[in-house]
Amino acid sequence: MTTAETTHDHHDEGSYLTPKYGVMGTIWDWMTTVDHKKIGVMYLFAVLFMFFLGGVAALAVRLELLEPVRVAADGTITGQLFGPANPESIATGNNIFNRLFTLHGAIMVFMFIIPSVPAALGNFFLPLMLGAKDVAFPRLNLFSWYIYVVGSLFGVFSIILGGVDTGWTFYTPYSTTTDADHWRVLLMVLAAFVLGFSSILTGLNFIVTTHKLRAPGMGWFDMPLFIWAIYATSIIQVLATPVIGITLLLLIFERLFKVGIFDPALGGDPVLYQHFFWFYSHPVVYVMILPGMGIISEILSVHARKHIFGYRAIAFSSLGIAAVSFIVWGHHMFTAMGELASTIFSALTFLVAIPTAIKMFNWIATLYKGSIAINTPMLYALSFLFLFSIGGLTGLPLGALATDLHLHDSYFVVAHFHYTMMGGTVIAFLGGIHHWWPKMFGRMYNERAGMIGCVLVFIGFNLTFMTQFFLGTQGMPRRYASYIDEFQTLHVLSTYGSWILLAGFLVHLFNFIHSLVAGPKAPPNPWGGLTLEWETESPPIEHNFHHEVLVQHGPYDFDTVVPPHCDEREFPLPETPASH
Amino acid sequence: MTMPFSLPLTTLANAVPPVRVLPNNADGFQEIFFRTNGQTDSAVWTDGLFMLTFWFSTFFFVLLMGLLVYWCIIYRRRPGVPQKISPSHNTPLEILWTVVPSSGMLVIFFLGFQGYMDKLVPASGALQLEVTGFKWDWKVSYPDGTQTGQTVTLGGRNDIKVHALPEDTEVSLRLLSNDVIHAFWIPDFRMKMDVFPNRYTGYGFRTPVLGPEDDHPEGRYRDHWVFCAEYCGDLHSEMAAVLRVMPRADYEQWLKDQGSSGDPVIDGKRVYSSMCATCHTVNGAKNIGPSWMNLYGSTREFEDGTSQIADDNYIRESILNPNAKIVKGFQPQMTSYQGVINDTDIANVIAYMKSISEHVEQPAEGEGEGEAPASETDAEGEG
Ligand code: HEM
Ligand SMILES: [Cu+2]
Ligand SMILES: [Cu+2]
Repeated sequence: MTTAETTHDHHDEGSYLTPKYGVMGTIWDWMTTVDHKKIGVMYLFAVLFMFFLGGVAALAVRLELLEPVRVAADGTITGQLFGPANPESIATGNNIFNRLFTLHGAIMVFMFIIPSVPAALGNFFLPLMLGAKDVAFPRLNLFSWYIYVVGSLFGVFSIILGGVDTGWTFYTPYSTTTDADHWRVLLMVLAAFVLGFSSILTGLNFIVTTHKLRAPGMGWFDMPLFIWAIYATSIIQVLATPVIGITLLLLIFERLFKVGIFDPALGGDPVLYQHFFWFYSHPVVYVMILPGMGIISEILSVHARKHIFGYRAIAFSSLGIAAVSFIVWGHHMFTAMGELASTIFSALTFLVAIPTAIKMFNWIATLYKGSIAINTPMLYALSFLFLFSIGGLTGLPLGALATDLHLHDSYFVVAHFHYTMMGGTVIAFLGGIHHWWPKMFGRMYNERAGMIGCVLVFIGFNLTFMTQFFLGTQGMPRRYASYIDEFQTLHVLSTYGSWILLAGFLVHLFNFIHSLVAGPKAPPNPWGGLTLEWETESPPIEHNFHHEVLVQHGPYDFDTVVPPHCDEREFPLPETPASH
Repeated sequence: MTMPFSLPLTTLANAVPPVRVLPNNADGFQEIFFRTNGQTDSAVWTDGLFMLTFWFSTFFFVLLMGLLVYWCIIYRRRPGVPQKISPSHNTPLEILWTVVPSSGMLVIFFLGFQGYMDKLVPASGALQLEVTGFKWDWKVSYPDGTQTGQTVTLGGRNDIKVHALPEDTEVSLRLLSNDVIHAFWIPDFRMKMDVFPNRYTGYGFRTPVLGPEDDHPEGRYRDHWVFCAEYCGDLHSEMAAVLRVMPRADYEQWLKDQGSSGDPVIDGKRVYSSMCATCHTVNGAKNIGPSWMNLYGSTREFEDGTSQIADDNYIRESILNPNAKIVKGFQPQMTSYQGVINDTDIANVIAYMKSISEHVEQPAEGEGEGEAPASETDAEGEG
């Protein structure tokens, strides 16, 4: 591809990871860096740490649900894992359970999944894939990271003070009245509020970067689909996040000054809160999934060596999803709204399903006549297609009114959103981390261990959450610390599944550590990719590219272009060049 | 709830023919999903829609995953073998796979809407029940004012409250909460609605017709679980009850049995088990609230350091304005029962409390109902 010889070569310039100062100096260098790659890596470690915290809480929740809580006629309590040894009532233990699932949900949503792909991988790869030296506002970028850290610290501090039992949705009037004698609820709400600013600033930065810093020769439709996805995500972040900011602020006022907006005891309306909340939180589910979809487009095309099928359809469906996502929030409230509103929101909800379905067909069609490598990133991409299809299809009975009135707030919903958020975003994130690991850290990971980890995660995930669909249809409500006997078998299976999941994650963890310490050095372009990040070294040099980048081919022209730094014998071109 | 435009659609929804719903005739995937079939006409209909959606989804899922696996096998990478040339888009195909699933979804949307109207619009002349949700139980009042306090052991749990319903009858629920949001879910009827503190919600259903399959040693009946489906705090998962559908004669007898016994102590005990037992014991053990054993006439020590003897007025205040005085060692957890409990029942509860306390000879200033001291003004926000 590319590259025009320019003024002078920086071939002696070191990788961005090469320490230039002593230990303290290096730490200071990282803490004050405006390099998007370093900021991306710092985000990566921060969100993975949050994933760990949220995951521990999830395992605890699953462990408690291994056995139902029972009070015998003489008052003895069985099956309760948390709380004092001889509690006077099961309320104490249940209260801890409630704090655990709130902690899990709040951490996973606000501190892990929303920043995960955009802030970590997006920061690292958006400028690289655009052929830019950095994002448009590097200092703002660092500032976003610090806001993220401050917001997360508020959250962690609230947990240290005892946590909150509101659920991550903070529904009123429960959230305005619970723990009335303590300010940890305020702290948690404040955490979500602060984290929103980080999200807005990152989104803003990415929008401007995409508009302004594309390499010469890169038109909008020459952009990799990952960029399209991040771009659509950023629009949602900038437009929707202020709404949750205001809502959370009102919630804080309500608690502190009893202003009476949401609490009926003060003359407010709790349904109003739900409208405000979901006006943000529905679009935000696409903040969670769109970047994951972007990753999948990259992995599938590179590892199948195929032009992505229906490039424009995928790009436009990202924008379409972003637009429609703003008008379907009411589908979270079918049991709380009148008939007219419910009907309209149900119809609109089916509208948002269409672009998602289109993407699914396009991805599968991309495999046709490919040269499909079965490795960890590809296994994750295939897992994504499997799991996310289930997540999407189980949205249909939730969007249809008659069935939703049964399934709403049941384990069916829990299963559905884990299939989309975890089976979708987290699986894509893991695939993306493997795909870009050699580029980010300059080392290969062990392929066999990676595939074993992926298979364990896939099996564990399905065992944990498939069972929950059946629990939901059979009548198990969500956010329950206990249940009737009939549900135990499925709960036990689900908990076993969570242990297999854990095993899968541990395999990945050790694989990554092993790679950093002893992995073989990565070549610049191990997979034969055509997007710009594969042109530069692994890991990239501090200023990303040696030369000014000039784009001369599309990101998916595998039929006509030998990938940079690659051997033609390993990545041969098809006999007859494509004509398009 | 009712809106003008719903009228023509009601007729449409009512076109569903009545079926005799068996306790269980589900099989295959329906049984895996639901264990038993839905127990009302509209629930049977909902199951139908669910299964339709399931097969629609399964068709596409199997198609896509089949292609995925097949192509991954035949097009797996072989060293030195390039990919084949293939088109990078195909407009007719893309239109096809947009239009076909979209039309399917349109059908699902419309059917979902139809079943929804059927569930929401109660038939005229239905038996109207007032359901009050409070932390953490349901109070169900029948048209004649009867409330239930009977409990059974079910699903591994003691103290599951039973509310009777006559078979083959249209029932309409009117739902209201006394504190936070709850949701009244009857899984067998495939229906739930949120329960709000500041507005009525509700829905209707027709109870099943019973048959010999429903005969038990104690009589003919069919039980349906009720769960709270909106998170409401510590005992959210305990907020369960049972609707027991029985032949009309049994139902009427049952209603009679629930009425006043003429003995305030017995009636007070019934109020206790229907509304207070979730948080107060009568055996001296501490729960969310203090035990009632020997409470009446004892000296209560409060969080603010003051104290008072538990007389009639104190008990009344504690029911109607519970957070005015918080007993040492407890949280302001109880919500006001203003509007939930009537004066007769307050008197009955006091009688019951006296019957389980030793200090009853304490002076009580009359029966206390006349000069109700409860002030609803302050401390409400503390809840
Ligand atoms: C380690 C794997 C995971 C396990 C075993 C797990 C398990 C659970 C369980 C048992 C619940 C509680 C359901 C209830 O009682 O209502 C739950 C709720 C939730 N999970 Fe997960 N989860 C996992 C990963 C994730 C991930 C990766 C995300 C998002 C990125 C996520 C997001 C949520 C949310 C938002 C809730 C709702 C919390 C609430 O109801 O307030 N989970 N999860
Ligand atoms: Cu939504
Ligand atoms: Cu509840």
